[in-house]
Amino acid sequence: MGGRIRTQLLKGTTTLLVLTVLRDGELYGYEIAQRISERSSGAFAPSEGSLYPALHALEADGALQASWRESDRGPRRRYYKITKTGLGMLEEHANEWATFSRGMARAVGGTNQQ
Amino acid sequence: MIALLPVIVILGSGVAFLIASVALVRRSERRLSTGPDEPGSSVAPGQTGAPEISAYLDRMTAELRLPAADVAEVRAELADHLRDSIASLEAEGFETERAIREALGRLGPPAELGRQLRVAHQSTRRLLAGAGGGVFAAGGGFVLGYLGGIVLAMLGFLAVSALVALLAAVGVHLPGIFGDDDGATVNSLLYATTILVATAVATRYAVRTSAGLSRRAPRTVAVFWAVAGALVFGWLAIFEMRGPQSWPSVGLELCIPVVAVAAAFVRIERPMPHVGRWAVVVSVVSLVVLVLGVYAVNVSVSSTSGSAPLSSLVVCSAPDQSTSCQPDFHLETVAPMAPAAWLPEGFPMNGGSNSFGASGASFDDQFGSGQSALSVAAILSNWTDVRFEAWHALPMNEPGPGGIDTRYSSPFAVQPAVSSGSHLTAVFHFERLRDASPWWVVLTAVGPDGHRYLLDGGQGGSSDFNGSAWDWLTAPQ
Repeated sequence: MGGRIRTQLLKGTTTLLVLTVLRDGELYGYEIAQRISERSSGAFAPSEGSLYPALHALEADGALQASWRESDRGPRRRYYKITKTGLGMLEEHANEWATFSRGMARAVGGTNQQ
Repeated sequence: MIALLPVIVILGSGVAFLIASVALVRRSERRLSTGPDEPGSSVAPGQTGAPEISAYLDRMTAELRLPAADVAEVRAELADHLRDSIASLEAEGFETERAIREALGRLGPPAELGRQLRVAHQSTRRLLAGAGGGVFAAGGGFVLGYLGGIVLAMLGFLAVSALVALLAAVGVHLPGIFGDDDGATVNSLLYATTILVATAVATRYAVRTSAGLSRRAPRTVAVFWAVAGALVFGWLAIFEMRGPQSWPSVGLELCIPVVAVAAAFVRIERPMPHVGRWAVVVSVVSLVVLVLGVYAVNVSVSSTSGSAPLSSLVVCSAPDQSTSCQPDFHLETVAPMAPAAWLPEGFPMNGGSNSFGASGASFDDQFGSGQSALSVAAILSNWTDVRFEAWHALPMNEPGPGGIDTRYSSPFAVQPAVSSGSHLTAVFHFERLRDASPWWVVLTAVGPDGHRYLLDGGQGGSSDFNGSAWDWLTAPQ
């Protein structure tokens, strides 16, 4: 039950999470999923099936730039880098999320108080 | 220098447009194929490890419907991801087979993943870029194809001319298929060939550019461009391209929409041939030489052809046949000359005039001249059904006096003579009739005895069919 609620909550936040972890540097797909999970202490782990469509959609919108190159270990990988457009999008999404979470906290807190 | 400025600006803009469109096509085409150096080719389908992984990626790829480079990239990226994911699960203690199943399960159903990736790639922004880029590339491709088509058409013409000359040298004479005016018809044939090549290149450029920019498989966008190309170029070729026509040129023009469809589909995944720098230089030089050569030939041909002057062709004016009627023109084929007794003194007409143009061939016979101009109504009061008749004539550029072609027993066109004061006039649209040229126009009328007689020996000339392929197809014989 808790997992389903978390999945529902995660819908729409994948973009914000991806842009947030890429703000700190270039990463490839698997690393992005790992980094999100690490940063949220395992609370958020976007479905791997929705991660790649989100990455490719952000690339199509110009928010990310992808390039193939050798990784430190293993074969060539597709690295993603946030662009200027992506940084603007991140700020916008972060503000929206802050407004939403504050409102949600007030609403849920108010319900609990009654 | 100032006078040359518009020419320099136009030429500069044209060259910049061509360079930009070719660069756009080249850039877009990179998405359509993967070579050994392409990033996406780092992981081939056979190198993805377990057969379950290959099968999963195959099912996902089937839903993508993206250009080849994108498919290869997506496939390689997901293969990398699965390799990392499986390794991580194995490190956690999973057995390999279970780790593979778990890693694949985390990615979800392959068809759904493929569908979502396709939607992610094929954004509206890319669709608009593909449509705009396709139109731009089509414009550039049409101009490039037009230039290339001129060179190809000229080379073809030279090859056919050489073949005909060779056959003639050994005694084989091919039948004429272009009608009376070979020069004009050959020009129309070369023009149709040029548009044919331009259409093929334009459609192909449009498909490949829009596929690359919109991230759609070439065969997906080919449907749109095939329809658009067939409609636009077909319309231009069949209804808007006007000029001298013949069956060969009309046949080529009817092929233009078919070529647009074929160019959009046939071997569309294959890249366009690379055109090297020297090939461009040689083509431009050849083109200039050929254009100058054709111009010189046209000037030479136009100075020796055209309608014969009226003064040399007014051949028979009743009743004084002894002085001006020339029976070599076979006027007896039309009708007997009008008896002098049935025409008043003052006849014949004072020559006439004709003019040719887009509005047709106009004929004007005047009766008398100046103060002695005669009223047509008074002269021909006993005559009925006064009309101009157009007969097939013998080619004027062949030896002999010419005149009416005796193989025909009736005129191919008839116009009632319109009476106005001392003039009788009529207009024939030979440029809208197939096989009308060369022609001979005479004036006839039905006399008091009820039989038709020749009033004016008339004049001959030639007029090319001038119109679109549709005009040719719907023209009366």
